[in-house]
Amino acid sequence: MAAELTGSRLQRLVEQVGRRFVSGVEDFGYSAALLAESLYWIVFGPWQKQHVRLHAVFAEMMNIGVLAIPVLAILAFANGAMMAMQGIYTLRDFGAESQVVVGIATSVTREFGVLITGIVVAGRSGSAIAARIGTMQMAQEIDALRVMGVPPVRYLVAPVLLAMLVMMPVLTILSDSMAIVGGGVLSVMELHIDIGTYFERILAALEPADIWQGLTKSLVFGVLITLVATSNGFSASGGAEGLGRATTRSVVLCISAIVVADMIFTFFLII
Amino acid sequence: MAFPVEEKQGFSVVMLDGEVDLNRSPDARKVILTCLKKMKHVMVDLSAVEYIDSSGVASLVEGFQYARSNNLEFGLIGVSESAMSVLRLARLDQVFRIYVSLDERLAHGS
Amino acid sequence: MATLAEQAVPSVIEVRDLVTYYGTQKILDQVSLDVADGEIMVIMGGSGSGKSTLLRYLLGLHLPDAGSVRLFGRDISGLSGREWMELRRKMGVSFQGGALFNSMTVGENVRMPLREHTRLDENTMRIMSRMKLEVVNLAGYENLMPAQLSGGMVKRAALARALVMDPRLLFFDEPSAGLDPVVAADLDNLILRIRDAMQVSIVVVTHELESAFKIADRITVLDRGRILMTGSVEEVRNSDNQRVRNLLSRTSEDVPVNAEEYMQRLTEGAD
Repeated sequence: MAAELTGSRLQRLVEQVGRRFVSGVEDFGYSAALLAESLYWIVFGPWQKQHVRLHAVFAEMMNIGVLAIPVLAILAFANGAMMAMQGIYTLRDFGAESQVVVGIATSVTREFGVLITGIVVAGRSGSAIAARIGTMQMAQEIDALRVMGVPPVRYLVAPVLLAMLVMMPVLTILSDSMAIVGGGVLSVMELHIDIGTYFERILAALEPADIWQGLTKSLVFGVLITLVATSNGFSASGGAEGLGRATTRSVVLCISAIVVADMIFTFFLII
Repeated sequence: MAFPVEEKQGFSVVMLDGEVDLNRSPDARKVILTCLKKMKHVMVDLSAVEYIDSSGVASLVEGFQYARSNNLEFGLIGVSESAMSVLRLARLDQVFRIYVSLDERLAHGS
Repeated sequence: MATLAEQAVPSVIEVRDLVTYYGTQKILDQVSLDVADGEIMVIMGGSGSGKSTLLRYLLGLHLPDAGSVRLFGRDISGLSGREWMELRRKMGVSFQGGALFNSMTVGENVRMPLREHTRLDENTMRIMSRMKLEVVNLAGYENLMPAQLSGGMVKRAALARALVMDPRLLFFDEPSAGLDPVVAADLDNLILRIRDAMQVSIVVVTHELESAFKIADRITVLDRGRILMTGSVEEVRNSDNQRVRNLLSRTSEDVPVNAEEYMQRLTEGAD
């Protein structure tokens, strides 16, 4: 195929790749600046009469965290149950099906509990935040904030960031617990052990480091979702259609960012 | 107190001065409401006021409302033309009791 | 080197040789403009004339690429965050679409600048916001959401919000756009009434001739990024500049064709 590329086509391809790369670097830089400015207002805001409003943080905690609990609980439970099922059938061939408990304990706390949390929050809030900020951008509400002397990052991004940093670990613990319970229900049915024994084995298999690994990741995911969603909102343009595009893009990028970050994390932590 | 109050002929006369703006109107509000809470009739003297913004006018409105619900008298005296135009914009010139001076108010009788 | 006469009526806005780019495209070219204390300056021009861009620079939403913008005698290019805040408290803006915050009631919208910038008593803030709603004839609409208002009411609510801090400088972006003639005329009268009562300087950006002639003390005509003329209503009406005359009589002008460039534009990028 490459041979078919004429000189000018190749040139155009290279140009396109280059442009994508540059805009990617630009996006990354923009997100980094958003993070820096949010942290600035959180830490130094009170000295400049620019407090990050607490009631806004609570409202975000409600939207991002509390309202996500039902769907997250169900998904985590189902995921734990599925892992138990897959584990039992795979390990049965080796006669090691009782070891499934160890597998559930470590993989849920290190990996899947936080990953499901990240994906649920990205799907719910990644789109909602981008849509809200995008709407405000198009209606000149962001400009209105700026001319009123209210820094939009302080008003719109910092509360989301704070709420994420609080709620993501909380949701992750919830998700871990529900997945373990889900695995427990399956284990009780298939392995004929009682639930008390199951939890004993889970606790025996778990180390604090496993849980810390999940919680650390949850903080990173929270920051990523905040930055991707808000920056997509701020850069939205082009009417209703553009808003739809920004929202979709936000969710896709949030989930991609989470998965990539997870991969990098796991790679470095396992080695 | 940031603004002086003089007791004259049964009235507490609150003397506002200079610029009654966002920074100073909370003080004006406090002085006016303090007088009213002592169940005194109040006249607010605006003759030394160079500029009054809407936070200042809002403080006057609050005082007037408090006076009305407690059967006290509340009036303005020495209202300059610039202060008057601020009142007029919000049609408050038709609401407040406005006198040239305390003497004019006294001439009206009670 | 200001003469005594110039000092007597200080300029609230001074723009000198402003040059701006959008990407590589020059949008404003050598624009110079003064707005005196207490005057109504109308910036007029067709779409694409650069008038909206000029407004964004006057609002300090962008910083000049070349030339300078001074507000209340201060060059906006070298201001610290705190100095900006001081300036912003003296400025009010009524955006084209109102830019009211959709998640707040009308009253909360009007109170927002007070809440962000002052420590006034809650009662005082409520009275102040209601006074401004009285001024714009929206008494009693305090508890409605912006979505429940008509177009003209949204603009008046936005004006109440712009007025709530008693600004010294007020900006209107296309005040009559999207309004029926009667409502638009009401708004023009309101603008005049506010100037007389509050001695505020007003900058209006519009393409509506009728409205411009009615409210302006002086008019600046902008065309393709350059200032064609600045003068009193009479001077603009009687101007013998062909482009100004075209704008007044609403005839469009054929852009002279450069054959070479035209062919280039049509065929550029074709294989």
